[in-house]
Amino acid sequence: MMALRRRAFGLVAPGGLAILAVLAIAAVSAAPPLAAQEDAVAAGKVVYDRWCAECHGETGQGDGSAAASMLPRPRDFTQALYQIRTTGSGQLPTDADIRFAIENGLPGTTMPGWPNLSDGEIDDLIVYLKSFSRFFAQGPAPEPLDFGSDPGGGPAAIEAGAAAYLTMLCEECHGLSGRGDGTSAPTLEDWRGLPIRAADLTEAWVLNGGSSVEDMHTRMLTGLDGTPMPSAIDAMNSGVVSPDEVWQLAHYLASMGPREMPPLREVIRVGRAEGGLPADGGEEAWAGVEAFYFPMSGQVVQLPRNFAPTVDGLWVQGLHDGTDMALRVQWNDPSNSPDSNWDEWQDKITAALDLDGAEPIALDSAGAPTVRPPDAVLLQFPFEPPEGTDRPYFLMGDAREPVYLWTWDSEAGVGAGRGRGLDSVEPLAEDPVTGEATWEEGRWTLYLRRPIEIESDGLDFAEGTPMPIAFQAWDGSSAEVGKRSSVSTWYYILLEPPASSTVVVTPLLAMLLTGAFGLVLVRRAQDRRRDG
Amino acid sequence: MKRYLSHPFWQGAIVIVVSYVAFEWVIGYVLPVIGVASAPVPSSVILQYMLTVLVGIVLYMSADEARWKSFKKPIHETMVASDRKTLRGILMVALPVLIGWLAYQNVRPSYAAPATLRSVHPAPPNQLTFRGETIELTGLENPLHEEGSIEEHLAVGKRIYVRNCVPCHGDLLDGQGHYAPAFNPVPADFTSSGNLPQLTESYVFWRIVKGGPGLPREGTPWDSAMPAWETILEQDEIWATILYLYDQTGFTPRTWEEEGEGGHE
Amino acid sequence: MRSHFWNRSAALLGVVAMAACGGGGGSSEGAADDAGEAAPAAAAVDPASVGTISGMANFGGMVPTMEAIDMSAEADCAAGYGADGPMAQNVLVSDGGLANVFVYLSEGVSGAPAASGAAALDQVNCRYTPHVLGVQSGQDIEISNSDNLLHNINATPTENRGFNISQPRAGITSTQRFQVAEVMVPVRCDVHGWMQAYIGVVDHPYFAVTGPDGSYSIANVPAGDYTMTAWHEEFGTMTASVTVTAGGTAAASFDYNGEMAGADVPMGDALVLEHGTNRIRVERTQ
Repeated sequence: MMALRRRAFGLVAPGGLAILAVLAIAAVSAAPPLAAQEDAVAAGKVVYDRWCAECHGETGQGDGSAAASMLPRPRDFTQALYQIRTTGSGQLPTDADIRFAIENGLPGTTMPGWPNLSDGEIDDLIVYLKSFSRFFAQGPAPEPLDFGSDPGGGPAAIEAGAAAYLTMLCEECHGLSGRGDGTSAPTLEDWRGLPIRAADLTEAWVLNGGSSVEDMHTRMLTGLDGTPMPSAIDAMNSGVVSPDEVWQLAHYLASMGPREMPPLREVIRVGRAEGGLPADGGEEAWAGVEAFYFPMSGQVVQLPRNFAPTVDGLWVQGLHDGTDMALRVQWNDPSNSPDSNWDEWQDKITAALDLDGAEPIALDSAGAPTVRPPDAVLLQFPFEPPEGTDRPYFLMGDAREPVYLWTWDSEAGVGAGRGRGLDSVEPLAEDPVTGEATWEEGRWTLYLRRPIEIESDGLDFAEGTPMPIAFQAWDGSSAEVGKRSSVSTWYYILLEPPASSTVVVTPLLAMLLTGAFGLVLVRRAQDRRRDG
Repeated sequence: MKRYLSHPFWQGAIVIVVSYVAFEWVIGYVLPVIGVASAPVPSSVILQYMLTVLVGIVLYMSADEARWKSFKKPIHETMVASDRKTLRGILMVALPVLIGWLAYQNVRPSYAAPATLRSVHPAPPNQLTFRGETIELTGLENPLHEEGSIEEHLAVGKRIYVRNCVPCHGDLLDGQGHYAPAFNPVPADFTSSGNLPQLTESYVFWRIVKGGPGLPREGTPWDSAMPAWETILEQDEIWATILYLYDQTGFTPRTWEEEGEGGHE
Repeated sequence: MRSHFWNRSAALLGVVAMAACGGGGGSSEGAADDAGEAAPAAAAVDPASVGTISGMANFGGMVPTMEAIDMSAEADCAAGYGADGPMAQNVLVSDGGLANVFVYLSEGVSGAPAASGAAALDQVNCRYTPHVLGVQSGQDIEISNSDNLLHNINATPTENRGFNISQPRAGITSTQRFQVAEVMVPVRCDVHGWMQAYIGVVDHPYFAVTGPDGSYSIANVPAGDYTMTAWHEEFGTMTASVTVTAGGTAAASFDYNGEMAGADVPMGDALVLEHGTNRIRVERTQ
């Protein structure tokens, strides 16, 4: 080839150089797919091995060393089943779809976004990911669906969307309030046969494909491949819902709860109740009372750890009247445990998730679990107001310094206890804390009430003094017992003191004194000057 | 301008303003931006610092008779001069209002969390016990540098890290794991120049082995979610994880040759 | 590690090529099409040179009792069944004949007419009708909903692309296709965990599903020597040799019995969850 070209160059005039150059470029640009592809695969493998392989596995099957502690499991690239796409059900994702998932991560899963990777690295990575599956070699990149345009939101659109939610029977899985507690929720499996949650639509910040109206609209029309979430496109094309109604449904979904995780405020402000404390956790009495959100994590500090907890946060409201205090704690849990409808779910979780050494719950001869644990929540305080910032250890204290607990579970109800470490609760029978809990449409509402100061052993609250508080939660139907819980670190709870005259008097006094002092100073200085 | 700069009164005023800006903004917000580990200073501490600065200024000014005189002069002038009547009037109103406002800030009901002063890298002990075995920390090196294949150690470290550390410290080692929002204090960011490069490997070893519960009081051991990993991991697994942390972030640890002590701040 | 992937690709390309040569570009889109352009058009079937295969799937021994399905969550569906209520359909035996066995020519087919017409899969009283369906690669499958409630049709093949479509009321029809041969493609409804169907995809029209009495018949098979395979969801696969003569009727029967329960049932690459070990393993069963 080289010899041929040299001879040709010798024959033609220099003007032919341009033609040759064009020919050479044409030859190169016809060739690149293979060479460039191989380079990209090699470069993508470097990125993949460094950042991705430990979860997704060296061979891309989603079976890395850490995979067993993750639910949902890491993606298996060999099947090319991608949840987050703009293409039709069962179709391959576009490169832009894969890039979207890499850049943004999949909220609510263990997949983070990767801002540390450059555009070029992500390009190479996409080529490498696609090389894991035979499907990408078979056809051209699919075209994204036509999503139409958003006719706009607003109250009327949201109302129409709420009607479409019922027309499309979304509640079969997601529940009437969208908390993932539908009738079919306990039986849902992903394509591997592993248990998978119906998304809790009221916590949009943990939706795998993003929380915007556009994101939700896209997910409905494409479906989430590999999960039970189907594409609504045939229902729309058959006229069950109109294209506008699908957009309105997206607006409704986006209105079901906050889009972003509520900002963390460290102090629960327990206001003074005007006209008496609420007698229960009913909506009416608590409407308008400020609610504080606390995110929770799996208990991953002590063995056995909980890598995929059900409860990922709770809301707390409080009121007091100077004598008693009442708290309302709410958290989402799609199962009202114990519930035999969730037996299979409990067993599947036990089988699928790394229990980190915990004893799995055994089945009896009929295949039913021998134990159906209850749901539970616990509020934790120090026994005494802390000196300085010292507190007991946040995981229910330790042998040296215990914690004072308000406990509730769906079988035993409300009580108090002394904790000396996880899994170590000694009941305090004398404690006057009372309360009750109700479960409705995937949400527990726990009402607690206690005198601010008590005779028996336990924390005396003081108005105006922030007291440490921490939380723990369990979902029995997901085999969460003992140390396998959701936990929070320490926050504060503060009982609003009565309106005090000092707030007005002290600044006034300070102003008067300063003014008088200033007058005296000036007068004396002027007198002295006159005298001098 | 020059006249002001050379005048003791205005020097004092400038020192006060600059100090306040430094305490309130530079320490808390500018330093983290340029990569130095820092946190906002609580207001009660700022008040203490400012009083110290004020006392310092008065001491300095009064040490020299002439300087003290010219320092006092503008103040005295304002109190007596007839051509400063308006300024005097304004100050006579503004100062009491300012004091009244400060007093209100102090007595009004506060719903802020009590300030926690937490030492991020407290001084390490000289030795620790690993499941009963005493290990001298002073001068301790990562034993894996000297044995076996570094690639294998890194592979072990990566496996340990992803399995155990990712939920809090994150896949990107930036302290942004999927559970990070639930923790206070937030998990350490290994990509910050304020962490790994400031520490010896033995210091990191101590922090991993003993975790939150092993911190001294100034490290607020009661609210750190860092497990005491001696209950879960073997020594070699911890050393391999330390190798991985430095390798993946590209930082180099402080060494005992450079520094007499472990890297505490 | 990577060689595994390339081997699989190569094997698949082989399948695609075979499909193309045999089917003569029967599909209008997708993978098989690319290879199909180079393949010769299929020879037209000469009526004088074809015969019929017919036979039985017999069942001997104790017939396992089927479990009742709890359809209380969907009263409208449950009302469609008699006093005994709905029962599972894994093993249906009548007078010694085993229903829902998918039988097809697995070797010896050297040319086949393109797929024509559409296959139908219906959802009636929260069950799939039929429970086992055979289709030719590239053939339209019209999936319809006769129940006025939400079903999703979630097909999870491994050689083909799957689909998962919602049909929230009666009267909706979705048309889908599988481009390459795959025995079998599982289909389920996630709303109703008991709903399960199987679609057998082969690249020629010589297949059948045994009826309630266990009998089947495949017409218009070109004369020749073939291997037949029978597939059942509980009892696995069996093969038989058969010789078809022009104008004749060849017999091929398959004898199942209760002891074969738990046999390996081919289903593409099955992904098996090893209970208690927390590991997924990929099991090649084909």
